[in-house]
Amino acid sequence: MRLKKCSILYVEDEKTTQELIKEILLSSCREVFVANDGKEGLALYKEKQPDIVLSDIAMPNIDGLEMSEEIKKLNPTQAIALFTAFSKASFLKKASELDISTYIMKPLDEEQFFNSLKYMALEIEVNKGAKSNGN
Amino acid sequence: METNLNKISDLINNQGNLENEKKFKIASASLVCAIVDIAQIDHKKYCPLFKEKLNLEQNEFEQIKNEIFNDALNIEDKVAYIKGELNNNMFQIMEFLKILNKFAIANGCTAKSYREFELIRDKFLREFY
Repeated sequence: MRLKKCSILYVEDEKTTQELIKEILLSSCREVFVANDGKEGLALYKEKQPDIVLSDIAMPNIDGLEMSEEIKKLNPTQAIALFTAFSKASFLKKASELDISTYIMKPLDEEQFFNSLKYMALEIEVNKGAKSNGN
Repeated sequence: METNLNKISDLINNQGNLENEKKFKIASASLVCAIVDIAQIDHKKYCPLFKEKLNLEQNEFEQIKNEIFNDALNIEDKVAYIKGELNNNMFQIMEFLKILNKFAIANGCTAKSYREFELIRDKFLREFY
């Protein structure tokens, strides 16, 4: 699957960052859904079932990790990317257990950001291939 | 999805073993060591991971570590070799990258380590992007 064909759920509570990333995503993905926190993100995920979930971690109501945990219960192979500054060991442990696809480091490097999204698009393709082969 | 060397090997040739397993292990461990600082490596955390993901025993890793130290690491060469062993098959490359990703985050990695992982990942996948 190519990134242009992917739908993305983007979850971010910080408005300025949200607008910036949303614009970037709109130029490179089929559809972009935006939520303001993990609770809203989870509801939108259930409604839209996007190909990729891209989320910040620290957010009100439900944080990015808790939301990811709930999403993984619904769909264990869901491609999820989390924005992170890699500051907390506890975060890494939980993120590792959840089998998060990739991490987007702050501050954002645009080329790496796109490569990470393309990587996830490939992961979706691989997962679909595995399903159709009965693996 | 299970990600380990046996799985990758099975996917390649349905027989369970890579033809040149040691060379493959050295190349794989070399890339891991490019991502995590080999001098700072936490053996308690990494040895089980090497065993689980790369079928690499601690004594084997110690030997390989010396070889890695003595061999000026050329990441491009290692990537090209591993891609060749995986028949340049995107499915298997993605499985291999999942293993590297596990190593990258196993020990509370730094942004520098993760960037290194990303650079290696993109060398593997550039043609597929």
